Amino acid sequence: MAVRDADVTERERMDVVVGSILLAGVLVSLTLVAAGVAWHWMREGNPRFDYTLAGTTVFQFLVADVRALADGELRPRLLLNLGIAVLVLTPYLRVLASVVYFAVVEHDLKYTLFTGFVLATLTYTLLR
Amino acid sequence: MSVALVLAVAFVAGLIGAMSGMGGGVVLIPVLTLLGVDIKHAIAVSIVSVIATSSGSASAYVRDHLTNLKVAMFLEMFTMLGALAGAAITVVSGTRVLFLLFGCVLLVSWAVLWFRRREQWSPVAEQDAFSRWLELEWRYPDAATGRTVEYRATRAWLGGPLMFGAGVVAGLLGIGAGALKVLIHDLVMGMPPKVSTTTSNLIIGVTALAGTSVYLSAGLIDPGLAAPVILGVTVGAFLGTRILVRLSNEAVRRVFLCVLGVLGVEMIVRGLRGGS
Repeated sequence: MAVRDADVTERERMDVVVGSILLAGVLVSLTLVAAGVAWHWMREGNPRFDYTLAGTTVFQFLVADVRALADGELRPRLLLNLGIAVLVLTPYLRVLASVVYFAVVEHDLKYTLFTGFVLATLTYTLLR
Repeated sequence: MSVALVLAVAFVAGLIGAMSGMGGGVVLIPVLTLLGVDIKHAIAVSIVSVIATSSGSASAYVRDHLTNLKVAMFLEMFTMLGALAGAAITVVSGTRVLFLLFGCVLLVSWAVLWFRRREQWSPVAEQDAFSRWLELEWRYPDAATGRTVEYRATRAWLGGPLMFGAGVVAGLLGIGAGALKVLIHDLVMGMPPKVSTTTSNLIIGVTALAGTSVYLSAGLIDPGLAAPVILGVTVGAFLGTRILVRLSNEAVRRVFLCVLGVLGVEMIVRGLRGGS
């Protein structure tokens, strides 16, 4: 079995990058959701959100949220939406980082294509 | 339905899911439907929470170098496509079918857990040409012995298509379907148990994302339900992995077998009665 030490260091570094993206994404998302619920609770006296996300794509959803944020419309609902969007984008960013790693660091065409295919498909479904 | 009740249910589901290694969805979805949530909405909200629990635990495993990134990258092509197909089927199918399928998956999981072999692993001697081409040999640090264990994963040509099936189940029913993925890693690809569970966790994130995007564009994700479910399941799963260390495996397994059996039969009965 030929596992070279040079490969190990590169891939262990990649492990740390992937792990950190996942951890940061989940923590940020949970904080936003919790803050949204707490704020809504204080303002309305009820922690239950009552609105729908009717047939939207993740990117439309994100763009609408960021636009609302830019307009200074910070509301509990916006925090919850952002929390869900960050959560959904967490594995997406992990795949994006993997494509960059295999293409730029490893120069591994095979795995660049594999991860690129996953990224392209996910991008398509998130935009559709 | 009160937020506190959903939060409590999600917390318990996350706790049991993490302790049994089956994920929160298998408990969450049946209980939510018992509380009056439509099964499609329960499935959709569950798969969003699966992103949180799988990414949370995967983050620790990946940084401990237990995960095989190449195996994950290769297999997630298949689970992702499966999840897209599965979720698209759920969006158009009747609730009755979903109850029956969910019940069947619970009972199959019950059987897998019941007959699960001991955690034995013997290294694969011969790797096939395709798996060699995919460079699926790697190593992981074994905490028990303090040594680095080298291994090679094999039969990727079979593991890939089977993973498509695991992805369909995940997308269709809004669960991680980790049990199926681990089974494929163990039995088909000959991966060591530690690597097989941790790699499955990483793959589940992408599988759940694919399912989520379908449910989101179908308008099935209810934010009012999603908020307490995401919070409850994640906190429950976080505590569950810590409690697990102090409890005997056998006790956890017995409790979980009972829960799984009861919920499985109950879902099938409701499916037969017309799915409500």
